[in-house]
Amino acid sequence: MTTSDPKESSSDPSEMEVVSTDPELRIGVFPCKCGKNIGAVVDVDELAEYSKTLPGVVFVQVNTYTCADPGQREIQEAITEHGLNRVVVVSCSPTMHEDTFRKTVREAGLNPYLCIMANVREHVSWVHQHDPAAATQKAKDLVAMSVAKAATLEAQPELDVPVTQAALVVGAGVAGMQAALDLADAGFKVNLVEKEPTIGGIMAILDKVFPQNDCSICILGPKMVDVAKHPNINLITLAEVETISGYVGNFAVRVKQRARYVDIDTCTSCGDCVEVCPVDVPSRTDQSLTWQKAIQIPFPQAVPSSYFIDPDACLGMDLIRCGKCIDRCEQKAIVPSDRDKYIDFEVGVIILATGFSPADPRKIPRLGWGRYPNVITTLEFERLINAAGPTEGSLVRPSDLVKPKSVAIAQCVGSRSKDTRMACSNFCCAESVKCALLVKEHYPDTEVTIYYQDLRMHGKYFEDQYLKAREEGVKFVRGRVGEIQQYPDTKNLRVSVEDTTHNKLLMIDYDLVILSMGAEGRSGNFPIPISCTEDSFYIESHPKLRPVDTSSAGVFICGGAESPKDIRDSVIQASAAAGRAAIILQKGRYPIEALSAKIMQDLCNRCGTCVSRCPYGAISQDGTGKFTVMGALCQACGTCAGDCPKDAIYMPNFTSQQIEAQIEIALREKPEDKIVAFACAFCSYRGSDLAGVSRMQYPTNARVIRAMCSGRYSPRFAQKAFELGAGAVLYSGCHLPADCHFQTGNHWMAKREPRIRGWMKRNNVSEDRFRIEWVSAGEGKKWQTIMSEMANVVEEHKTSLPAPKKATKKAKAKPKPKSKTMKAKPKSKTKPRPKSGTIKKSASKKKKASSKK
Amino acid sequence: MTDQADTNRTQELEELREAARPCFQCGICASSCPVFRVTPEMNPRVAVDSIIASGEISEDGTEWLCAYCLMCDQRCPMGVSLAEILLGIKNIAAKEGKAPTEFTQTLETLADDGCLSPISSRSEKKRVELGLPDLPRPDPVIIQKMLEATSAADVLKINKAALEEASE
Amino acid sequence: MKYAFFPGCTMAYRLQFAEKSVRMVAPVFDIELVDLAFTCCPEPNAVRSMSDDTWLIFAARNIALAEAEGLDILTACAGCHESLSLAKYELDEKPDRREKANEILKGLGLEYKGTSTIIHMHQFLFDEVGIETITSKVVRPVPIKVVTHSGCHLLRPEKVLHVDNAEAPAKLDQLCESLGMESLEYMDKTMCCGAGVRKADSKTSYAVLREKMTSMAMVKPDAIVVFCPTCFISFESGQRMTNKNFGTDFKFPVFYYTELLAIAMDLPDTGLLLAEHRVKIDLPKSKETVEEAEVDSGDSITSSP
Repeated sequence: MTTSDPKESSSDPSEMEVVSTDPELRIGVFPCKCGKNIGAVVDVDELAEYSKTLPGVVFVQVNTYTCADPGQREIQEAITEHGLNRVVVVSCSPTMHEDTFRKTVREAGLNPYLCIMANVREHVSWVHQHDPAAATQKAKDLVAMSVAKAATLEAQPELDVPVTQAALVVGAGVAGMQAALDLADAGFKVNLVEKEPTIGGIMAILDKVFPQNDCSICILGPKMVDVAKHPNINLITLAEVETISGYVGNFAVRVKQRARYVDIDTCTSCGDCVEVCPVDVPSRTDQSLTWQKAIQIPFPQAVPSSYFIDPDACLGMDLIRCGKCIDRCEQKAIVPSDRDKYIDFEVGVIILATGFSPADPRKIPRLGWGRYPNVITTLEFERLINAAGPTEGSLVRPSDLVKPKSVAIAQCVGSRSKDTRMACSNFCCAESVKCALLVKEHYPDTEVTIYYQDLRMHGKYFEDQYLKAREEGVKFVRGRVGEIQQYPDTKNLRVSVEDTTHNKLLMIDYDLVILSMGAEGRSGNFPIPISCTEDSFYIESHPKLRPVDTSSAGVFICGGAESPKDIRDSVIQASAAAGRAAIILQKGRYPIEALSAKIMQDLCNRCGTCVSRCPYGAISQDGTGKFTVMGALCQACGTCAGDCPKDAIYMPNFTSQQIEAQIEIALREKPEDKIVAFACAFCSYRGSDLAGVSRMQYPTNARVIRAMCSGRYSPRFAQKAFELGAGAVLYSGCHLPADCHFQTGNHWMAKREPRIRGWMKRNNVSEDRFRIEWVSAGEGKKWQTIMSEMANVVEEHKTSLPAPKKATKKAKAKPKPKSKTMKAKPKSKTKPRPKSGTIKKSASKKKKASSKK
Repeated sequence: MTDQADTNRTQELEELREAARPCFQCGICASSCPVFRVTPEMNPRVAVDSIIASGEISEDGTEWLCAYCLMCDQRCPMGVSLAEILLGIKNIAAKEGKAPTEFTQTLETLADDGCLSPISSRSEKKRVELGLPDLPRPDPVIIQKMLEATSAADVLKINKAALEEASE
Repeated sequence: MKYAFFPGCTMAYRLQFAEKSVRMVAPVFDIELVDLAFTCCPEPNAVRSMSDDTWLIFAARNIALAEAEGLDILTACAGCHESLSLAKYELDEKPDRREKANEILKGLGLEYKGTSTIIHMHQFLFDEVGIETITSKVVRPVPIKVVTHSGCHLLRPEKVLHVDNAEAPAKLDQLCESLGMESLEYMDKTMCCGAGVRKADSKTSYAVLREKMTSMAMVKPDAIVVFCPTCFISFESGQRMTNKNFGTDFKFPVFYYTELLAIAMDLPDTGLLLAEHRVKIDLPKSKETVEEAEVDSGDSITSSP
């Protein structure tokens, strides 16, 4: 017997019963009493008898506790003995035990996706305690619906894909470096791609870092060398990712590396070339506070330790235009013939650590940066006070190189403002307190005042740093700086700020003003579309439970690219991302969604609507114009199918045919009494279950149809339900805007409302009979309320209005005989071709199973 | 005040309160205010705060000290339109007869001439002297109609009455 | 280009020479000014403080008048410009207010459609005509040092008016420089002159003016250049009251920009304009004008003290 370890079973799909070649439908129905939970309200024996009458059902067995070992064994024995090829367990919620029973049937050699459940506990016995007769009737309907669905279920292969044992880390600031080192130390190959000529990011150009105020490059430098030396890290600088194709476990990456014009292996960083280069450009490292040459090294500790030539600044590496460095270089390291090149490789996982940009002070002109030389940003301050900076660590005013006797620091510049970004940038308060301490360190007599709105010393040890600053005599005034004006002769600055604590206007002169700059997002523009916030920071899969995952499987985010943060938090998050990525790499294989969508090419009219509905980018068009779904990316939400104008997308276990069959069964008797209620698996269905668990009572009108995501609810379903005379229809999904488990399914569902209501209006269906609701997994009460309210609407309409004008399709009393149902879907075109293994005849399987008895 | 006027006032105050709600008391407006610079009475931040905190306008009438230079409006990081809120407060105060004398006088001149300041014969002569054309004047009936159709007619009446009362 | 000219009450009846200067330069730039029966814009502070909807309806009527003639409105006062522009913004963005206004306008035989734009002379000269063209028309450069004051209501709110950068305006400076002036940067350049609070509390208003002029005086300009009659009066006359109240000694000559434009283009009768100023200034002749004067004894542009 195959073990229940999914890894093992999936690595050998040939053991799976893919589909019975026996044209006879052999459905087994297993009603459960669940002790007294179901049995006390629903007449389970009557239910069992009824089940026997349903088409395709060849075996019915009642159990008291079907989920327990004996119950499970009985199912397995029944499969073997009676050659069952479909199983319907009539018991609790699939949320509870769908996986349990799928495992059970898998162990018996039946494809797990041929087993479904009918929920007669959370949806019937627990919520209709006062009306056993109606409850039993409802249970019968639900069983009939499940049996009708079971008739057209198809076996789905459970596949997984191999995972390339390598990772891509984009961005080599402190976060990218940490992630790369963690993965490399864990034994995986890492391709670390960095846009700049050196790694290190912003941290490398800071002076001292809070809260211990240790020297930034001193602690970062050794890490940089580790990255350079690590045998598992392939460092590619001056490079950006150009294209990525593929999916988790199998990404094909193309990187474009710009020409460096200097050979990194030969260059010894001696600096002779700088002496002869005639071109001056504003220094990037020193924030344009000084000049550097066209041939340059960003800073002495750069990794790779090599110079590079800025091609836009360089006059020309030939004898007429210039070429002086070529002559001067004793190592002959200059390479005029260097070209941009493409580097291709494959990886299994991707970590994005592209960081943020310092906020642009030009967006806040009232503070005078750029017009007044003695107004500087925190980053400019870092360079001025840095021993490796333009003034060799001497803090002097840009206008006259004089030591400042009074310094003001203005907080919240570039953050918490509609003109820049509304959110706080996290690190600026601690950064400013640090700057204040550094000023005091250099010049104890210089007066330093921090003008703040809220002083957010939120991190570990931050409060100590603040207390130290107060001890050192740094002043703190609560008020956000309104404007800075410059005295024309002295270039001193006049800061206008209200001391809000004392309701007093202060207009104070300062020698130097430091603007505490926030962060500006620069995420996005990546070959794989990863959603970003409005202010350009990557969006995580779930803010609490999956803070470094993204909605693209195999792609992780960390550091400043995800949201502004300090070094410690960047490192923590980088290790988190590396850990998550390592799980995938380590397993070696990645399971792909078994129920992924399939486009039926004979029905598809190539309108391309589905492409935009998919939040995972799983649908694409190939060179011939054909649209296909990449199974490895598809998460089976069904939103594409919900909007497909031709109903050309096949959602295994949630096909249109299956759903419509359930609608038909639900409405075959007294449709005007019924509410056809659609509930999505992750939110609304769980909410409805919660109503059951909480024993909230409500009328018996609803017949719930489950889908994985509300995106699946096509307008056709509501239409069909009303055509068949439904009393009411409910479309229920996860709350807008951001609760949908599949990112955007609920949004697409909401967009269909006008179409549905338009149809209703044209067909004289009263608008209160259709509702779109947002029910979360915790909103059992809401579900109860909705059920009761809709039951009232149904009652009202029963007593007042006649039947809808459209001719009702005669609901079949019993579905047609088996052969027809079996042939429902043209299998040849839609059956997924299993990637490995073949379809085995059932006979051999049965033999195998029986031999184990 | 009539019931309707009362309801209107409550609603107006509520709207002002909602408009002021995003304020997080940073003080940029105050540091930008030219009037606060010379007199501590007029603090736009405090004016907005009291509307949020008490839902009422302050009794001291400092809102009339606003020079309407719109610096606070321009600079507010939360996009609170202080100028509009202050105008709203002034409107409410005006409806209660609390407008300063000069403002009432200006409104009166507007009602009479359609102009801010009375057009003297001297200024008309100057125009002729400088060779400027006679400007077409609007029909006073039109001006009256516009005043009647909006709240100015009432506001003028209330404030004139208040002035008379005060002078007695 | 035909425009409905909106001088505003202040310019028409208190600073007539400024209006004259606009009408003098208009034909040089091919503007035809049409006079319609406008009311007060109305004044964006006093009237609006008393009644917001009264303000809106007066402004709506003014705009509708111009629309009825198919003309855009050319303003010459910053207050008018802001009042009309903000009213237009309200009417365009808020359909319920627009509906209400149109109900009243209907009774006056008018309708606000939103088809006319409102442009200030500053915008016209800088954006439509352009610095290059203006410079090319300068015959007598005016080599004085000035400080410019664009005015609160020409600059703010920037997102509605779009005239210049509200925190660091530079266009009026460029306009002055094209006439040969040196425009000096000074502190509190965008600060209000205090005119808006003069009615409520004149002493406070002069205190504000004092702050402003102290900053101007720091750079020792020869004159102040404004593009609004209210700012003009506020500075030219207000400084005397400030001196009275605070013992200061401000004696700035003030110019409305088109006056200097008329002078620089050597239009006739500019002496008439300067005669109306309360604080006089001898405009120095530039090198070219000196040469010209030597060649032919042309009319002097100095005015009698």
